[in-house]
Amino acid sequence: MKNYRYRSTLFLSPIFLAITLLAIPSIAQNEENPNSPTPVLLSTTGSSRALATDATKPVNVVPTASTSNFPLNGKAAVFVTNVRLMKGEDYTAFRVYAEDGLRHLYRFPVVGLKIADKENQIYAITFELRDELGVWEVPASGDIFVSVAWRGLQSNRLALRIGKSSDSGDPLKGSSQYKDAQIAPENVGDRYSGDRVRFLEQATFGPSPALDLRVRRIGIKSWLNEQFEIPYPSSGTPYPNFPLRPTTLPLTCNGQIDNGEPDPDPFCYPNNYTQYPVQNWFYREAFYGDAQLRHRVAWALGQLWVISGTDIQQSSHMVAYHKILSRNAFGNWRTLMKEMTLSPGMGDYLDMRESTRFYFNENFAREVLQLFNIGLVMLNPDGTVQTDQQNNPIPTYDQRVVGNFTSLLTGWNNCEASLALCPNRSPGSPNFIDPMIITNTNNHDLSAKTLLAYPGSTTTNVPACEGCTGTAVTTYANNSLNQALDNIYNHPNVAPFISKFLIEQLVTGDPTPAYVGRISAVFNANRTNPSQLKEVVKAILLDPEARGNVKTEPRYGKLREPVLLLTNLARQFDARSFDRTEQSDGVLTAETSPMGQVAFMQPSVFNFYPPQYIVPGTSFNGPEYALYTTGTAVSRINFINTLVFNGVPVNAERRVTVGTSLGLADLQSIIAADPGGNDLMDVLNIRLMHGTMSDQMRATILNAVLTVPASDPLLRAKRAVYLVATSSQYQVQR
Amino acid sequence: MKKNRREFLKRSGCALGMAALGSQFRHFGLMSALAQKVADDSPSSVPTDYRALVCIFMNGGNDGNNTIVPLHSSTSLSNFNDYYALRNPFNLALTQNTLLPFAVPRMGNLTYGFHPAMGAGAFSNGLYELWGQNRMAVVANVGTLVKPTTKAQYNEFSYPKPYGLYSHLDQALQYQSARSDHQIFSGWGGRLADQRTAPDNPGALVPMITSIAGAQLFTAGQTTLPMAIGPATIGLDQVLKPQGYDETPDSQAQLAALNALRSQDLSSELIAAASHVTDQAITLNNSLQSYQEVSVQFPPSGIGNQLKQVARLIKKRTDLNVRRQIFFVQINGFDTHRQQMSTHNSLMSQTSQAMRCFYDEMTAQGIADKVTQFTISDFGRTLNPAGTGSSAGSDHAWGNHHIVVGGVSSADFYGINGTNGTPFPTFTYDGPDDADTGTGARGRWIPTTAVEQYAATLARWFGLPDSALPSVFPNIGNFTSTNLGFMSAP
Repeated sequence: MKNYRYRSTLFLSPIFLAITLLAIPSIAQNEENPNSPTPVLLSTTGSSRALATDATKPVNVVPTASTSNFPLNGKAAVFVTNVRLMKGEDYTAFRVYAEDGLRHLYRFPVVGLKIADKENQIYAITFELRDELGVWEVPASGDIFVSVAWRGLQSNRLALRIGKSSDSGDPLKGSSQYKDAQIAPENVGDRYSGDRVRFLEQATFGPSPALDLRVRRIGIKSWLNEQFEIPYPSSGTPYPNFPLRPTTLPLTCNGQIDNGEPDPDPFCYPNNYTQYPVQNWFYREAFYGDAQLRHRVAWALGQLWVISGTDIQQSSHMVAYHKILSRNAFGNWRTLMKEMTLSPGMGDYLDMRESTRFYFNENFAREVLQLFNIGLVMLNPDGTVQTDQQNNPIPTYDQRVVGNFTSLLTGWNNCEASLALCPNRSPGSPNFIDPMIITNTNNHDLSAKTLLAYPGSTTTNVPACEGCTGTAVTTYANNSLNQALDNIYNHPNVAPFISKFLIEQLVTGDPTPAYVGRISAVFNANRTNPSQLKEVVKAILLDPEARGNVKTEPRYGKLREPVLLLTNLARQFDARSFDRTEQSDGVLTAETSPMGQVAFMQPSVFNFYPPQYIVPGTSFNGPEYALYTTGTAVSRINFINTLVFNGVPVNAERRVTVGTSLGLADLQSIIAADPGGNDLMDVLNIRLMHGTMSDQMRATILNAVLTVPASDPLLRAKRAVYLVATSSQYQVQR
Repeated sequence: MKKNRREFLKRSGCALGMAALGSQFRHFGLMSALAQKVADDSPSSVPTDYRALVCIFMNGGNDGNNTIVPLHSSTSLSNFNDYYALRNPFNLALTQNTLLPFAVPRMGNLTYGFHPAMGAGAFSNGLYELWGQNRMAVVANVGTLVKPTTKAQYNEFSYPKPYGLYSHLDQALQYQSARSDHQIFSGWGGRLADQRTAPDNPGALVPMITSIAGAQLFTAGQTTLPMAIGPATIGLDQVLKPQGYDETPDSQAQLAALNALRSQDLSSELIAAASHVTDQAITLNNSLQSYQEVSVQFPPSGIGNQLKQVARLIKKRTDLNVRRQIFFVQINGFDTHRQQMSTHNSLMSQTSQAMRCFYDEMTAQGIADKVTQFTISDFGRTLNPAGTGSSAGSDHAWGNHHIVVGGVSSADFYGINGTNGTPFPTFTYDGPDDADTGTGARGRWIPTTAVEQYAATLARWFGLPDSALPSVFPNIGNFTSTNLGFMSAP
């Protein structure tokens, strides 16, 4: 302990924690402390330099002195303490960040973790001196500032000298660059309120005071169990129920002027034949429904298995598709795969129902592999990319496989047979509800097919069905389909691909491989469980990387996509109709559209934003940032201006029937009772920022709020909400 | 590129102490100031003329096979009958008398035809007329390549090929990044702007590059951050303006807080990234407060309104103090797996009408040969139809034809010759130009001209010196010709 230091006050022993837990009686019985300790990076004695050593060989002991002049692309080790690893948690749970004098933030690939001092629980973390994604080139020499992150918590920052540069003394001492580890506060409001609000941001369309109170009473785990059983859609917001679209629309309901006459009911066409009622229902369920978790997971899955109202121009088609998502949100992936494959909405959107053995259509066959299940490159179980000896990613399949899956999926079309087989059939209207069937056996390809080959693949060949006719073809097509879906489902990519996607949707855009690996293992352990996704979702939300009052890692979290920005504000501030006499109508697509997102109207099968988007000027991947440009950044500010100060009024042209407004009466009372504004800032800090509002931010907002005369407490409340909601600090969910 | 970048940092960064570099560093204004130092070191002087590149992204994979069709009956090359025989099933072939004919010097003056929707329409005379005026060129069978590739090489397992062939996302990104051996995180428009901002646009009030189609890889450089604004349905003075503010002290106090919050809590890189973009927007808003409306009437389509917004910015070029600009617009819906005939007709009409109106507006502004529009797209499409009946379409393929309008040298086909001695592919399934093999072959043309070559020709015209080509196009050395000749002399 002579040659390095750590702040022993930060070291929280398990025994100390256990005692602390028992001493807190006011929380739900099954609630564990959600917080992980914050890692502490060791420095050399009396210095702000990181204790570091060359790591071309494994590092097993804490060195007595620091090495410098690390070669570029070489390996270095730093030493960290105040972490408690759970079983199986290894180097993939750690990140090493570095910042240079140009304020470029790098992430160095972590390649090893060894215990270096067992008594003091000090670990050596080995990393490579190169930017993980290769966006930045590491400076040839000089000081950079390193920190370690674990479970979303960033350590203190210390200097590390790289390359051949002379010792410049103690670069951080006394400078503002030096930063101690931010220790997650144990108490925000009551003990775990920060984590509870964070949890509700991840698991729902936004926390509300009532929901927060309920979770406080029963605890996160009980609330989750309740959510898995709760009916969906909620009783107050049933699915829109409109008839299937006839091939020829009636003249009185086609949205056009016929013989000089518009439709008698101007809502007839949009209600029946556009996404309008589904969009409105979606927002109302998000605002008022109790089945928040299922609604949120269905929304997430709908960003993977994409069909879009740009092509699927009818509510009833979209409703049938959304029922598949919501029904299987806590179900089994293999079941979801089959229901989606035979979904007539999907068959229409990606053209499987057009594909015959005479004229193939590859669209669905390609995307069921690439976008929906396995991706283009081989993955490790923790979601990292497998590479070959030349360091190139290993492709999962080639064009021939796409061709084989295409021919295997030929001949399916809408269910237009007996009512026994197709109970929702309605003559004159294509059946977009029942699963597709083989309608014309002549259209199905009968030749042999080769499926995906991968380590552990079994059924890679589907034999030909020489001379088959009639029902033999139907049986063959169905069996082939099941074989093909099994072949995909058993691919080792599926678990990490889906796990990572769901983590990114619910929790953080940049999960550690350790986190992905843990969820992937749950996915695989429940492959035959009809409630597989329930276990997966539960594991995602209860993972230590998801939980905790505060996360400080620079890349932790995600930008709120516009739809979630809207629903979070609406739920937190009691959204009702414009005149506040009834519930909102949920007519809000015109509000989110300038921000680049309209629910159920993805521009293409690639969703609203791509899975990989390196934010310009940085080296991090932030898919939602593809919706954050100079233009949409201002649109977000203006949207919040509308919502907070004005509300969305009734507007016949936009088909807004009762509109939407926020209710800020409680905030108004708070600032009226405490005109100094501190109580208001406390409440906003807890409800919107789960306790993360910095002193500086608080002072800035309070100052602006207090320039409004105390005689206008409502305007003060509005200004406070506007300034928090428009801030990047709020726009980023972390 | 990396080397240059390091050079750049060495020269510009050393004078500034670490403490001086605050969160504003990535701001384009400061970036320009830093980059100015590079300009001072280089011999080139600020150009006196104006030039702009306008990238038209046909999102989804435009069917080049129905954009440019052989109309001749010569048997030495694929002719109309060859096309018709392979495309006619399920009526995916255009009829001979509707195609818009033109003679191609490069092809021995044989006749080819443009898609019928490229003729006169409701808003303009369309692009077709510009061929006759020598203002339009065609670059044939362009595509993503790592190296020049023959069919035999394509079938060699270890021969370097573009990653993610036939995948929308990967191929579209490669057209935008101009690199196909592995993924990179900047676009060639952005890197071109990295190179040219300092020497060409000193003191500019806007970044060199603007997207009217949101965030796009094409526009992202390493030092260049693009401006992205909405289309012309909103005026330039409103497009980046925060609403609800007036000049009263009370309102200004709120604005001051809104602005101040962006410099706080930057230890989260996510927060810093969002704040930085917003910061840029608020600054740019001040530069856009006055503008003149354009004189030509544009179609009220998506692409029409995007190009109209570009035209407005160009009209404001003197105010904005810019001499070189790059723009990005897009039109969606080209993934025509079905119902191609009606969909593609509509898309080609929208594209042609909007591009022609834009050209006419540039003529009105007196810079028709100084502003060049060029198309990119994910990939071409299979010659072989997909699906049946009226819902027939085509699937993902590879090589594709592209259109360049503006400062072109002369109306002709351009590109590297393929197996038949011309840049135009031979229409034979499993033939020498088809990447597919065997009885299931569907006509996916192996490109003879790389995206890099197409882009480099445009970049040279824009003013990129030959010595800097590898900085913008890292793999350009894999290809012999870096100038396909379709642009007029710089």
